[in-house]
Formats: sequence, structure tokens, C-alpha cells
Amino acid sequence: MSMRKRSKPGLKRLRQTVATARIAACAIVAATSLCAAAMADPGVQFKDQQGRDITLKKPAERVVTIPIPAASTFIAIDGKTDRLVGMHERSKTAIMDGILGKIFPKAKDIPSDIVGKGFAPNVEAILAVRPDLVFQWANLGDEVVKPMTNAGLTVATFNYGTEELSQGWISIMGTVLGRPEKAKALIDWHNAERAVLEKKMAGLPKNKKPRVLFFLRVLSELRVAGDGTYNDFYIGLAGGRNAAKEVTKFKVVNAEQVVAWNPDVILLTAHEHKSRPEDVYNNPVFAGLSAVKNKRVYKVPLGGYRWDPPSQESPLMWKWLTKVVHPGMLKDDLRAEMVEKYRFIYGHDLTDDEIDSILLLGINKAQANYSQFARK
Amino acid sequence: MSAATETPDRIGAGARLPRYALWGGAVAVLAVCAAYSLGVGRYPISFERVYGILVSHLVPIDTFWSVSDQRVVELIRAPRVLLAVLAGTGLAVAGATLQGVFRNPLVGPQIIGVSSGAAFGGALAILLFSGTSAILGLAVAFGLAAIALVYWMSRIAGRNPVLMLVLSGVVVSAFFAALIALIKYVADPDDKLPAIVFWLMGSFATATFEKLALVAPPIVVASLLLFAMRFRINVLSLGDEEAEGLGVRVEASRWFAILCVTVITASVVAAAGIVGWVGLVVPHLARMVVGPDHRLLIPASALVGGVYLLVIDDVARVATASEIPLGVITALIGAPVFAILLRKTQGSGWKHD
Repeated sequence: MSMRKRSKPGLKRLRQTVATARIAACAIVAATSLCAAAMADPGVQFKDQQGRDITLKKPAERVVTIPIPAASTFIAIDGKTDRLVGMHERSKTAIMDGILGKIFPKAKDIPSDIVGKGFAPNVEAILAVRPDLVFQWANLGDEVVKPMTNAGLTVATFNYGTEELSQGWISIMGTVLGRPEKAKALIDWHNAERAVLEKKMAGLPKNKKPRVLFFLRVLSELRVAGDGTYNDFYIGLAGGRNAAKEVTKFKVVNAEQVVAWNPDVILLTAHEHKSRPEDVYNNPVFAGLSAVKNKRVYKVPLGGYRWDPPSQESPLMWKWLTKVVHPGMLKDDLRAEMVEKYRFIYGHDLTDDEIDSILLLGINKAQANYSQFARK
Repeated sequence: MSAATETPDRIGAGARLPRYALWGGAVAVLAVCAAYSLGVGRYPISFERVYGILVSHLVPIDTFWSVSDQRVVELIRAPRVLLAVLAGTGLAVAGATLQGVFRNPLVGPQIIGVSSGAAFGGALAILLFSGTSAILGLAVAFGLAAIALVYWMSRIAGRNPVLMLVLSGVVVSAFFAALIALIKYVADPDDKLPAIVFWLMGSFATATFEKLALVAPPIVVASLLLFAMRFRINVLSLGDEEAEGLGVRVEASRWFAILCVTVITASVVAAAGIVGWVGLVVPHLARMVVGPDHRLLIPASALVGGVYLLVIDDVARVATASEIPLGVITALIGAPVFAILLRKTQGSGWKHD
């Protein structure tokens, strides 16, 4: 009941605001006789990832993000959190648990009750924060979009899973927030790093490419990243071969299959909080694996967003992985580069302790070649 | 539903000397299937090596296999094969018993709420603790709680205890299903939820000898108890009045049988999640071969169940690089087979009023 009481005036207020804005706009236009020029001003226009044309009168001042990684992309583009007025509960926990929570402590006050456990929007709560734009998933059907558009909200949708789509997020966020130059700089950086690595690995013979296996789950089930995943993409970029190439997408396999693949390097996702390299080492079934014998099981770092899915920080992940898969091949200093990029993306100067915690030096310390990431 | 009037004759017919050759043959089939299963898998090992590894435990022979070969056979395949046989055997015995004491071919461990209760207990254990013993403990506890609820409800009223029991089972199942949904709702989506979902779906992929050692004793003991009361189950399947007339304490015997079934089902659920349809389908297959006499039906169901689940699990783990969910195969095979059996056996083994 209280929700309804609160939000109805909210809706009314929104409509009033819109109406007032229209009247005001017209009045100004009429008064200054710049009607023609104003009509020609297209405002902010872009296509979302379902190809729909979205128009905003001006760069958004109040944005709600429903896809979990979108909140951190938003912060990366805007360099602050003031214009983010609502996000998924799990975006918030990811931010508050990680480095972003320290850089942007005000993020903890941003409402996160705007969606339920899944991605079904709580339309009344979203109306209450009066957003100019809501970002939502594209692949979950109309059911999670329609209730919002019906209520008069502007919704743009995102897809997920490839570098291209991720760059699309960055580009759209740049447009929406009126910061296209920042978005472009980020994308240029991604493309430049990608080109460098692709060139470097092009001549690498197959037998020089270690077999890399990416575990999305290792404690409850053995879920691996197969062909066609983003993980597969950057394993290739880092000069490795995906050991799970014969399955597609994310699949559950049995231990015997892992033994048959015999990976040289094993990666554990940061999504599974509790998994550690020891979980692989201590499983007697895996004792014969090349990755186990050579202590090459690593937990993937956790930066402004988890490094294993695509994000604004992905080039750092590619470099980290290249250094893990081919120690000594890249001469760059990853720690120095992280400092530089965090300053560029978030306007924050990373301390040595923060870098240690992002690279999970505590967990990964004992793994082969990880001393290359230790502070000098 | 009434007892088929020809049942006493059938018992007479079935009471002939057991055909030892036939039983020996059936046991041999199970043994051959198990031996074959040890030799197949995603990791290529020749049969020669597999049996070399097995034989090396009995007589000392030179190793001609790699350490990895040995690990795969001893640590992955052996416990998994044994667990599949054990679960299939147990569930089939449980199903045959239930169908007998309720004189209803539609009854299985899932119908009377035991599976849901046990599944809730297991999910709760994953949420709160970790480790198989917690899962086993809570699965059995809530399996028993479910059956206690069913018992309490079915005794309230009604002239048809079987109908009341099945209806109570449906109610209790629905209740625990809602609680499972609630647990999934509150579980940490990065950590606990995938574990719960994976476990509920049913799989032998995580079989280890420790797990086997934990769940084998309750399954074996409860199955043997049911085998020991096979004649009593025969009498119960005649109907309550006849059974009482023959001097059997109907209520006590029925509930003791249900208790054993609960222990078996909850143990299987603890080890491998919900493996549906086995307890429902396998007794029908066995009944087609040996008839409705539980003195034959219970051991026959055990053997058929062991082979059945073993073969299905072989498909689940070997057919593709990724694991096929066990429950998908058991349901895809089980539902049509059950439908056909139901039509065929209608009016022969079982009758409806």
C-alpha cells in the first residue's frame, strides 16, 4: 500500500514534469524565435542493442542500470556516481565489495531495490527515482521491458558476451552521458591492445600455445567455458588454446573429461567467491594434470569489475592472462599500467595495497610465475 | 482399486523353486554391465588397462598403465559405477515396495512426498553447511518429516487410506517444493545457488568413495529389511481386510515398509539429488518378467534397477563432452515406457475399479 501511495504522486509528478518541460521548451522557443534551430537540434540519439532508436532531449541526468555489469561501466564513463540513481542489488554488492566501493563510497546510498531477484523491474520503485533512461537486458524478452515503457519510461537494452557488444555498451554510455570522447578513448585503448596481442600471437605455432581451461564453477560442479565464449576469445588473444574447445558456451563436464583435456593452465573465476587453487590441487583426481604438476592454477583478478567477463578494464585482463600463459613474453609492467589506466578510467590513484588486492596476490602468490606481479 | 482376485494363485505360481540359473544370469548381466562401464568414459583407456588395474588389487602384476589411467579408473569411474548401481537398486526396491503396500502402480517415492522432503533437507544443508554428511543427515530428517506429515494427514479422515495417502503426498510435495523455491530465492546467486541447482538436478558426477561409504549402509540395510519382509508385502498387497484376516498388523507393517523406503530415497537424494522415474518404472519392467510375487519381484527389481540406472548414467557421462543431466534421460525414457506399460498391464497385473 505504502508503495502505491508513494509512487502514484511520483508518476503524476513525472508527467507534470514532462508536461512542464514541454511547455517551458515551447515558451522559450517561441520567445527567442529560435524555433527552427531548436527543431533541428536532435538531442541525444542512439540505437540500443536491439536496434531500436532511442532519443533523449539532452544527456541523461538520472540513469538506472539493471544489467549487473552496467553500473560499473557507467561509473567508468562518467568518472562519478551522481547521475546513477538506481542499480541491481548485485551490482551494488559487486561495487561495495571491490575497489569501486573504496573509490566511490557514495555508491552505497544509490537505491538497489529497483529490481527483484531476477531482472524483472520494480516499475514503481523505478518511477520513484525519476530516471531519464533505464538500461535493461535485451535477451530476456519483452516481459522485463514492456512494464517500464508502458509506464512512460525510456528504456535502452544491452546484449552481452563479446568484445564488440561490450564496446557498444561503452559507446552508448558515452553518448547518453554526453561523454563520447571518454568512450572513444576507452574503445581506442581496447582496440589498440587487441591489435598488439593479435599481431604478437599470429605467428605462434600451435605447440607453443598452452592448453588453458577456464572453470566457471569448480566447487559444486565442473562448469567450463567452451567455444564461443568471451573467455575463449581472450584465451586465444593471450596465445593459449582453449582446452574445452570441443564444447560450446558454458557446459558442465565430468572430472574424467578434464583429465582427458589435461590443461596446462587452469583459471578460476572470481564469481565463485570461495574457490581457491587449492581446491584443484587437493583433488586427487586432478593430481596428474599438467597445470597441477606445474602449479599453474590461478584465480582471476577482481578489479572495478570482475576481470573474466567483458568490461571497461578488459585489456588489463588480456595482459594479465598473456603474462600468466607466456611468462616473459610481454615486457610491460602491469602494475604501472594499472595505475595509469585507473587514473584514466576512474580518476583514482591506485596504491600498492590496492593493486595487490586486485591481482589477488594473497591467493595467487604460490602459483608459478606469479612473482612477476609482485611489487618491486 | 481392489486386489486382483487371482493374486493368491499367482503367489502359488510364483512360489515354485527359484530358478537359480535365471537369477545367476541376471546377476551376471549386472556384473558385466558394471565391468563394461568401468571401461568406458571420456578419458580413453583400453579395457586391457582397466582390468589390469582391477586385477592388480588381487594379484601383484607389472603396471603397464599410467598413473592418470589408474586415477581415472579408481577415483572417478569405480565410485560412480558403484553409486549408480546402488541407487538404481535401492530406488527400484523402494518403488516395488510402495506399489505393493499401496496396491497402486502409480505410486513411487516421489508421489508420497519423500523425495521433495529429502530434497528440501539437502538444499537446506547446502545453504547452511557444506559436506555430504550434513546433506545426508538433513535429507533423511526431512524425508522422515515429510512422511510423518503425510502419515498425520492421511489419518485424519477418509475411508480410502490409499487415496488419502497419495493426496497427502501431493500436498506435502507441493509444500516442500515451495520451500525449495524459497531456499533458491535466498541463496547467494554466486556461490550457493548453483550448487543447489546442480545437486537438485541429479547427477553421479561427484561420486567419491567417501560419499559411497556414507550412503551405502542405510540403502543396503533398508533394502535388506524390505527383502526380509517380502512375504508380508505380498499379504499387504491383497488388501487390508484380507491381510488382517491373515493375521498381519496392517498399519504397523505398512508404515515400517514406508520408513525403509524413506531411508533409501533420502540417502539416494543425498548422494545424487533427485533421480526421478526409476522407482516408478523399474518395478513394472521386473513385474513383466517375474510376475507380482514380491518374493521374486523385490530382488528382480533390484537387479533390473541397478542395470537400468548404470546404463543411463553411462549415456549421461560418455555420450558428449558435457554431462547430460541424469534426470533428463530418466524422464525421457521413463515417461513413455511407463505410459506403454500402463496401457499394456491395465487389467492384467493391476486392476482399477
